[in-house]
Amino acid sequence: MSAPALLARGLARHYGGVAALRGVDLDLVPGEIRGLIGPNGAGKSTLVDVLSGRAPGSGGSVRLFGQDITGLGPAARRHAGLARSFQRTSIFPALPVGAQLDLAARRVGATDAPRLLDELDLARLAAVPAEQTAYGDQRRLDLALALVGPPRVLLLDEPAAGLTAEESLALADRLRELARARGVTVLLVEHDMEVVFRICERITVLELGAILAEGTPQEIRRHPEVVRAYLGSAAA
Amino acid sequence: MSGAGRIAAGALAAAAAGPAIAALVPPGVLLSLLAQACIYAILALSVGVLARQNGMVSFGHAAMFGAGAYLAGIGLGAPGLLPAEAALPLAVLAVAAVCFGLGLIVVRVHGIAFAMLTLALGQACFEAANKARGVTGGADGLTVALPREIFGLPAATFQRAEGMFLIAWLAMVALAALAALLARSRFGLLTEAIRENEERARFLGYGTVLPRAAVFALSGGIAAAGGVLYVLYNGFVSPETVHWSVSGSALIMALLGGTRTVWGPLAGAAVYFLLREQLVEVTERWLGLLGILLVLVMVFLPDGLSGLPRRLRRRHGAEA
Repeated sequence: MSAPALLARGLARHYGGVAALRGVDLDLVPGEIRGLIGPNGAGKSTLVDVLSGRAPGSGGSVRLFGQDITGLGPAARRHAGLARSFQRTSIFPALPVGAQLDLAARRVGATDAPRLLDELDLARLAAVPAEQTAYGDQRRLDLALALVGPPRVLLLDEPAAGLTAEESLALADRLRELARARGVTVLLVEHDMEVVFRICERITVLELGAILAEGTPQEIRRHPEVVRAYLGSAAA
Repeated sequence: MSGAGRIAAGALAAAAAGPAIAALVPPGVLLSLLAQACIYAILALSVGVLARQNGMVSFGHAAMFGAGAYLAGIGLGAPGLLPAEAALPLAVLAVAAVCFGLGLIVVRVHGIAFAMLTLALGQACFEAANKARGVTGGADGLTVALPREIFGLPAATFQRAEGMFLIAWLAMVALAALAALLARSRFGLLTEAIRENEERARFLGYGTVLPRAAVFALSGGIAAAGGVLYVLYNGFVSPETVHWSVSGSALIMALLGGTRTVWGPLAGAAVYFLLREQLVEVTERWLGLLGILLVLVMVFLPDGLSGLPRRLRRRHGAEA
């Protein structure tokens, strides 16, 4: 049996006396798109931060395709094949869009930057400084920076934040296509339930730093605790 | 023409302008002023390189300038130990090497904290220059006797305004071209990316401390090259050369000219020196007037004087 793409065991993160993560276990199957949902303050972004090496965990371990990456920093995790995007657009504002993709590709020895520019409709902006592009273009650039390579596992922290409903769904469809075509395993944190239910094969629900439920979109929609804690009656 | 080709062509044209300027300006005070302006323009360039590539503001670059001057002076003062042709580049390399080591620590600090750190380090060097009397001559300074010839040129060439203007001009153009090539290189792109968003660069797989330390070292080396020219021209270096006010002047030059372009700090140095000479004739409080000018430039031209063409192009584009 092949190793899980991402295996987290007992992840904990404390801020002083506050436990943001309380022994979280997570198994991502290679190639799946997993949704991570939960109310504000549930610990979703903290979990992504600990998985990606942005924040140190207070306990637990992380393995990427069997390799222990618990003690590695962000750059080393990227080399191991783990990439991420950020809740707030995180690009290089003054640099041309194409140059940013080249920079990202060069570091991991990738050659897919021009194709990615095309696939994310950014080729026409290759020579334009990112700060002069529209917000939607910047969000796609953010995604492109994370996808170049491609990485083996991609952590996306609210990639559709700030986009219109139409833009969000278009981005979700594009993301699904790109991830499948490249065989990338994705952990998607998203508040837009339409996006999550549209593209995720399985969903993990976090509440108060612990896993509340896990299952297919259908199971999660019907899960009474999830409906009570997060989805409300609208999901039914 | 490629970017590197354009830089080379521009540098050649600028280098050729040096002799023309020297021929047009009568020998004397003005040419001496221009020679000094070129030397300090190199210091301003070093401050600009750090600001442009690393996004860092230094209040301590006089320390690198002064260290270059002192090391060159000490090397020239011990001709049996080292030939001048080795002592001068070694002074620059030694300062760059120390800056690299120091950079591995200080570039981890950002914003105002970095500025204060450089101020503190600069003033520590000032104190060291004052106290280490046996090496630096203390507050009396270090008088340097040049050997008869350096790089095949008579020593007098370095100490006459006509000679030093040309040498400093060519050095300034060469160093500016080097900085421009760096900015266009892959390494330059990486350091700009780190300047823009260090965290994102790390998550793309880049280590960020080494590139920033390398820029700090390059910037220090450029400042030291200015210091070497300073001691060659003046035959003297004192702790005043290392004082924070010299760092402040270099920063004013860089900000006046603007740090978004490589040539901005050079233009800023030219404006600073020419204005200073004019204002000194008008009032003792020339520094206050210069301060007002700096405030006006910062308010109306945040990118400095070198940002003016871009601003005009944008306005012209908006009207068209």
